[in-house]
Amino acid sequence: MASPIRVLTAVPICDGHDSAINTINLEFIRHGIEVVYLGYHRYVQDMVRAAIQEDVRAVGISSYNGGHVEFFVEVVKQLRKRGADDIAVFGGGGGTITHDDQRVMQKRGVDKIFFAGTSLTGMVDWVHQRYGKQHKASGRNGAPADMQLARKLTQIEDSYANGKAPRKSAMKKSGNTRVIGFTGPGGAGKTTLIDELVLRLLHREAQSRIAILSHDPSVVGEGALLGDRATMINSQHDRVFMRSMATRGQAGGLSPATEDCLLLLSQSGFDYVIIETVGTGQEAMPFQTKLVDQTVLVMNPDYGARLQLQKIVMLDLADIVVVNKSDQERAKTAMSEIERRIEQNERPQKLISTVAKRHRDVGVDQLCDLLTQPKPAAAASAKR
Amino acid sequence: MSKLGRVVEAVDKYNNFVENEVKRARTDKKFGQQMVDRWNQIKANIPVGTAPTGLKLPRLALPEIDEAGDITRYLLADGLPGEFPFLNGAYREMYLEPMQNPTIETGTYEKNGHGKKSKLNGSKNGASNGTVAAGVSPAQDKAEQPTRLPLQQAEEPTRLFSGLMLAEDTNERFHFLGAHQRSKRLSTAFDGPTLYGIDSDADGVFGKIGEGGVAVDTVEDMIRLYDGFDLGSPDFSASMTISGPAPIIMAMYIAAAKRRFGPDIVPKLRGTIQADIFKEVQAQNETIFPVEASLRFLTDMMEYTTRNMPRWYPVSISGYHIGEAGSTPVQQAAYTLSNGFAYAEMMAARGLEVNDFGPRLSFFLDCGLDVEYIALTRVSRRIWAIGMRDAFGAGHKAQMFKVHTQTSGRSLVAAEFKNNLTRTAAELMLSYMNGTNSCHSNSADEPFTTPSEEWIRLAAHGQAILLDESGIFKHTMNMLSGSPGMKAVERAVEAAILEEFREIERLGGVMGAVENRYQRSQIQTAAHRYEQQIYSGVRPIIALNKYRNENEDLPEFELARTPRSKQQLQVDRLKKFKAKNAKKAEPALEKLAAVVETDENCFPALMEAAEVCSLGQIGETLQEVVGRFRPMV
Repeated sequence: MASPIRVLTAVPICDGHDSAINTINLEFIRHGIEVVYLGYHRYVQDMVRAAIQEDVRAVGISSYNGGHVEFFVEVVKQLRKRGADDIAVFGGGGGTITHDDQRVMQKRGVDKIFFAGTSLTGMVDWVHQRYGKQHKASGRNGAPADMQLARKLTQIEDSYANGKAPRKSAMKKSGNTRVIGFTGPGGAGKTTLIDELVLRLLHREAQSRIAILSHDPSVVGEGALLGDRATMINSQHDRVFMRSMATRGQAGGLSPATEDCLLLLSQSGFDYVIIETVGTGQEAMPFQTKLVDQTVLVMNPDYGARLQLQKIVMLDLADIVVVNKSDQERAKTAMSEIERRIEQNERPQKLISTVAKRHRDVGVDQLCDLLTQPKPAAAASAKR
Repeated sequence: MSKLGRVVEAVDKYNNFVENEVKRARTDKKFGQQMVDRWNQIKANIPVGTAPTGLKLPRLALPEIDEAGDITRYLLADGLPGEFPFLNGAYREMYLEPMQNPTIETGTYEKNGHGKKSKLNGSKNGASNGTVAAGVSPAQDKAEQPTRLPLQQAEEPTRLFSGLMLAEDTNERFHFLGAHQRSKRLSTAFDGPTLYGIDSDADGVFGKIGEGGVAVDTVEDMIRLYDGFDLGSPDFSASMTISGPAPIIMAMYIAAAKRRFGPDIVPKLRGTIQADIFKEVQAQNETIFPVEASLRFLTDMMEYTTRNMPRWYPVSISGYHIGEAGSTPVQQAAYTLSNGFAYAEMMAARGLEVNDFGPRLSFFLDCGLDVEYIALTRVSRRIWAIGMRDAFGAGHKAQMFKVHTQTSGRSLVAAEFKNNLTRTAAELMLSYMNGTNSCHSNSADEPFTTPSEEWIRLAAHGQAILLDESGIFKHTMNMLSGSPGMKAVERAVEAAILEEFREIERLGGVMGAVENRYQRSQIQTAAHRYEQQIYSGVRPIIALNKYRNENEDLPEFELARTPRSKQQLQVDRLKKFKAKNAKKAEPALEKLAAVVETDENCFPALMEAAEVCSLGQIGETLQEVVGRFRPMV
C-alpha cells in the first residue's frame, strides 16, 4: 500500500480566516490525505520551511485578507530558490481572488486556484489526481541538507507503508546528539512545553540545531491531521527541523517508521533531537529504544485518584516527571502524591512543576537546565 | 460559581417570579385589578399618529389582551419598549417619526407604574422615568433619559464600515459617506498588519498594506485618518474595529486627538473600540498577546476610559465574528453574552462600580437568515438585563443591552451576486424588528472585494428605504413584535442560550471554557455542518446549490486594490517617523516595559509611548514582556 499523500495547509500572514481551511482539512483527512496544518497568520518563510521539512507534495493556501498575488507567488519563488520545485502551490480565497489574479498567479507558478463554489469533492479529487505521484527521491541535485534529510525520512516512511521495512542499519547515533523523549496523556500540554523548551534552547545556545519528531494518531490507509506546528510558534525557526508523523495504525503513540527516522535524525548532526508521542495510555513505555537518552513524562494534575498513579508504568521509567498546568487547584496535591509515588522507585528521578502556557515560566527554565546538563551516566538508561 | 452561573440562576428565578405574579394576578383580585388598571391607563395614554395616507395609528402597539394574568405576563416578562427586561427595545420610539404636534404628550405609560415596579426594576425609579414631552430639551443629555430617543434628537442608526488604502484615502471615504448625514458616525476598518500589531515596514507584509482596511502605523496616520472631523463634537463618534492591539490603537487615537485639539479633548471623545479579546480567541484569531496578558491590557484601558472618558465605549462585545466563523445563532448569542458577563466580572474585580462601567459596555451582533434571527437580539437584551440587574446589581442604564447589528457577510455569495441585495434586505428587516440601536448593511459586492461606492450606496439606501420610505417602522413601536411565531422562537432560543451558559459554567466559566477550547470547537463543528449542508443541498443557497445558472461567469470587478506606490509611501512615512523619534522612542518603550512588569495600570505609559512609537515597536516591546499568543487550532 502506498503512503498517504501529504499536503501542508496554511493561512497567510495577517489573516485569521481559518473557517474555510478547517473545513477543507477535515475533508482531506476523511479522504486519506495527511494534512500538516501550519495554522493562520503565517509568514512565507515559515510555510516554505515547513513544506520542505515535512516533504509534502503540495502547499494549500487559504487567503481572505488580500495581498494574495504577492503572497502565493512569493511562496513559489522561495520553494524554487530552495530546490523544491516539485512542491506545488495551490489555494483559494472565495471571491477575493479574481480570474485576473488567477492568471497572473498561474503564470508565475501557482498550480491551481479554486474559486467560490468549488465543491469539497472537487478539491479532494484534484489533490488525489494531481499530487498522487511521489517526489523524486532526492530532489534536485545539490538540494539543501534540510531537503535531502526530509526526502530520506519520506523514503523510510514509504518503505514501511509498502511493507518493505529497510534493513536495520547499525543502531548507533552520533555521540554529540542528545535525544529526549516526551510522552504523557493527551491534554497534558506536551506540545506547548516542548515549544517553550525550544525557545529557551534557541535563546541560550546561539548555534544549536534541534530536530523535533512529533506524532499524531491515524489509522492505516487513512488521513491524519498533523497540527502540532500550528501551536509550536517558537519552533518555526531556521535552526529547527521539525517532522510531523502520523502513527499509521500503530498503537503505543509512535509510527512503525519512528525508530528508523529517529536514528536518521540522531545521525544528522543535531544537538538535540526531541521526540513527542501521541497522547498515550500510560500502561507501557513508548520508547523501546536505546536511542533515547532521557525520557520526560508530562502529566496533568487532574489524573484522578491517587490509586491511578500505581498503574502508570511510565512513572517507573521516566527520568523526569513534569506536572504541567500547575496553576490548577489540584497541582499541589498532585506534586506530593507523585513525589511519594516515585520515591518508591529508588532511582534518581526528577520531578518538576510547570505552567508551560505562562511566558518565562520558572518551571520550564528548570526543565531546560536539567536537559542541558552534561549527559547522564549511561547507567540511567541501561536500567531499561 | 462564576457570575455566569448566577446569571443562569437569575434568569430562571425571574421567569419563575413572572409566572408566580401571573398566578397572583389571577387569584388575588386586588392585585389583578391593579394590573388591569395600569394596563388601561397605559393604553389610554398612547398618543395617536397619522400616516401620510391619513390613517390614524397608535404610537405604541400592544397585544389585545384584557385578562389580568396575561397583562401581568406581558408587562413583566417582555416589558414595554425601554422598560425592564427590555425584550421589545432598549429605548422607546427608536425609529419613530417625530409627532406632528409637539404639544401632545407622549410616553406617559411608565408614569403610573404598579406597586411592585420599583422593586422589580431595582433601579432608581422615577428619576428618569417621568413624563417626557416630545420636543422638549433637545440638548438634554440622552443619558439622563435613557428610555427614549426621539428621532429629531437621535442620530441615524446607519453606520457604515469602511477603511481602505492609506489614512488619507479612508478619510476621503469618510467624508463621502458622511456628506448626507446629520451626525458623523465613522466606522473604521484596519488592514491586516494593523490588526496584528505589525508595522508596515516589517518583512513579508508589503502586499497586505492598505488591503481590506486602512494602514495605521503611527499617531501621524491617526491624525490623517480623521482629519477634518471635530473629534470632540457631540455629533461625532468614531468606531474602530480592532481587538488584538486595541489598547495601543486607543492610545494612538487619544494622542492624535490631543495633538489636534489639546489635552482637554480627552473627556469629550466619543466612540467605540472593539477590543474584544474573548471573541478573537474563540473565533476571529486576531490575538497577539497571550490571553491573560491581552485581558490585562484591555482592563487597564477600560479602567482608564471608564474613569476619564465617560462618552467612550471601550469594548464592543462582538458576536459578529463568532457568527461569521460559522457558529449557530444560539452559539453566537450565548458566547457573546457570556463574554460580556465575564468582562463585567473583570471590571467589577477592579473595584469599578457597575453603574459606571455597565453603561459603557456595548454589543455587536451578526444578523443572518436563519429563523433564530427573528428574535435573537430581543432575547439577548432580556438575558443581559436580568443578569446585570440580579447578578451584578446594575441600575437601569447598566441593564440595557445596546447593540450594533451588521447583516451577515457569510450569507452573501458570489454566484449571481445581485441576489445579495435581497439577502441583505431581509436581514435588515430582521435587524430592525429586533430593535437594533445601529446597523451596518453589507454591500452586495462584498464576496469579491472591499465594497465599491456603487454598492455601498445601495446598501445605505436599503436602510433608508426601510426606515424612512416604508411605513413599517416609523409610525408605531412594537409594530411587528410579539407574533406567536416570534414568541415560540424567543422561548426556544432563550432555553438554548441558558443551556450553553450551563455548559460554559461546568467548564469553569468563560476563561475555563476558552482554555478547554470549548467555544472554538463548537463553532468549528457548526461551521463544518453548515458547509456540509450547503454541499448536500439541505441548506438551499439560491444560485449556488439551487436554481444555479451553470453558464454564469463570475463578474469581473474593478477591485479596490492598493497601488504599490501607496504601499511604498506608507513604508517610507513610517521609516521617517521612526528616524525622527528614535531618541524619544527608546526611553518610552523602556518605561512601558517596566510598568508592564508591575501590576500597575499600564495604559498611561501606553499613551506616552503612542506619541513617539509605532504600533509595531510597542507591540514587540509588550511581547518581549508578556510573550506571544499561542494559537489554538
